[in-house]
Amino acid sequence: MTSVSTEITASKAGARTKQARPQIGHVTRYAITYIILLLGVVVSLFPYLLAVLTSLKESNQIFSGAPWTLPNPLTFQNYVTVMTQYNFLAYMWHTLLFAVIVTLGQLIFSTMAAYAFARIDFPFREQIFWLYLSTLMVPTIVTLIPLFLILRTLGLINTWAGLVLPYVLGTPFGIFLMRQFFLTIPKDLENSARIDGAGTMQIIFQIILPLSRPMLATLAIVTFVPAWNNFLWPLIITNTDNLRVLTVAVASFSSNFGTQWGPLMAAGFITLAPLLILFFLFQQHIVRSIHLSGFK
Amino acid sequence: MQKLRRDATGASLNAVGVAAITAPRRRKERRFKLLQFQAYAFILPSFIGLLVFSLIPIVAVAVLSFFNWSLLGQPTFIGVQNYAKMFSSSAFWHTLLVTFYYVLLNIPLQTILALLLAVLLNQNLPGKGIFRTIFVVPWMATAVAMGTIWQWIFDPQYGSLNTFLALFHINGPAWLSSTTWALPAIAAVNIWQYTGYNMLFFLAGLQGIPSDFYQAASLDGANRFEQFFSITIPLLTPTLFFVLVTDIIGSAQVFDTVYVMTQGGPGKATNVINFEIFQQAFEFFHAGYASALSMVLFAILIIITLIQVLFFRSRIVYDLS
Repeated sequence: MTSVSTEITASKAGARTKQARPQIGHVTRYAITYIILLLGVVVSLFPYLLAVLTSLKESNQIFSGAPWTLPNPLTFQNYVTVMTQYNFLAYMWHTLLFAVIVTLGQLIFSTMAAYAFARIDFPFREQIFWLYLSTLMVPTIVTLIPLFLILRTLGLINTWAGLVLPYVLGTPFGIFLMRQFFLTIPKDLENSARIDGAGTMQIIFQIILPLSRPMLATLAIVTFVPAWNNFLWPLIITNTDNLRVLTVAVASFSSNFGTQWGPLMAAGFITLAPLLILFFLFQQHIVRSIHLSGFK
Repeated sequence: MQKLRRDATGASLNAVGVAAITAPRRRKERRFKLLQFQAYAFILPSFIGLLVFSLIPIVAVAVLSFFNWSLLGQPTFIGVQNYAKMFSSSAFWHTLLVTFYYVLLNIPLQTILALLLAVLLNQNLPGKGIFRTIFVVPWMATAVAMGTIWQWIFDPQYGSLNTFLALFHINGPAWLSSTTWALPAIAAVNIWQYTGYNMLFFLAGLQGIPSDFYQAASLDGANRFEQFFSITIPLLTPTLFFVLVTDIIGSAQVFDTVYVMTQGGPGKATNVINFEIFQQAFEFFHAGYASALSMVLFAILIIITLIQVLFFRSRIVYDLS
């Protein structure tokens, strides 16, 4: 059979046979690609599957059975317990507020500073920028102690101001990211605007920001998610229920009386769900955009 | 129209001309000063934040490293004793070794995987948006919840990993209880967590490469491998630089997964430097010693970053033309 078909294909013009070969290679390539991707999906999601199964089990089944067995009976009790017996709606609101405030601050102040570093020539510009970068290299575990003491001196322990201040004025990472991006925007755009008499604020709002919308979306995600998941700082700076965030609340399920796995996993998912929704909404902007950053 | 006389720079020289030069020049100077003022004004908020919440604590830690302090009472000045104790302590060097080994296990594999996934998802594949989202999902979980799950997966008797290996008649090790496998296990969790996140940056870098380069190369007869190594990799060096610098700094400071999964053990097999710093400060109450450790880590990271800057300086490619 094969000899007949190759004879037929060979007898046709060279272009035909050349077309036949890449098609088979194409299929193999796609197959391998999808196999690798699906493997990645399994590896990425498998731990979450375990978490979901646990969150839907009753507590005696969690202790008796192996983690991957199906819930029997399937119960949503853990989720109900978490949302009602513990103040999780309030915690979610606090976390949301914290993450939104920090993200807005990052978007505003880091962008401002990044524009200055990228587009305005001023004395000590490079030195100041490297000063910002070097602070990323100091482990925060011990700097938390003086930071805590500073805030205590300012009387800001267990306050909203104390919670957000270290983050809300912009961070070196955000400034680094936006500066890299601004460096890739063609200078001619700005120069011609300045020749036409535009002021800096006009340039920023009418030229720079519209071009930066995708990168700003990236910065937003990369700020929001870690803020949402921030554990150590809220743990240290807040100690009452009216400021508690989700991460601290979830950790409390792992307390002195042993761990309540079911509610812990349910709480974990309640913490994760809003992030998933947000990312899915934002992800298009991110990917279409980051390429402009160039990272020069 | 009176003909304007011009000097060497082409600027006009007659009376009208003089007024025509000096007025814009004065305006330029004013604009220049205004720009500089704006620059400082734009930086001011973040600088205040940096100063109060970053620089002052860092300086405080640097100063504290010369003191003995139990977090209660007054610190006592002991000069360089913390550093002397540190450099003569085999436990300290072991910690550095563990951290270095961890970064070695973690970063190369993570970077290559992230690049691979980015290359795969850079094509026009149906469902690529879903794949991209799924691969980033591990990055969004909190360490507490996911660390716990991974502890279950690594459980020697009931864990999914050993059960899976048993299907192939492989007797899986004790993972988190094994001094050989605990650190690789932690590295694996970290790779799981951050590969998707890094993939995003590589995806962006890939999308920034103009397709003309690939078209020209395939016209010249280059196959996909040759194109990858002569076009893709060089033009990805800016992204690679950013990813490597930030990832090495980040992974050298790993803490969450170690804290949740192994607490530095078994023995001291996973005692990375950030965990040691945490224990010294908050469990043994040697805040001065912990500060000294932090300063040493800072110095090491600066050196490593400088090495990377120098390595990439001559190798970063922005344009192949």
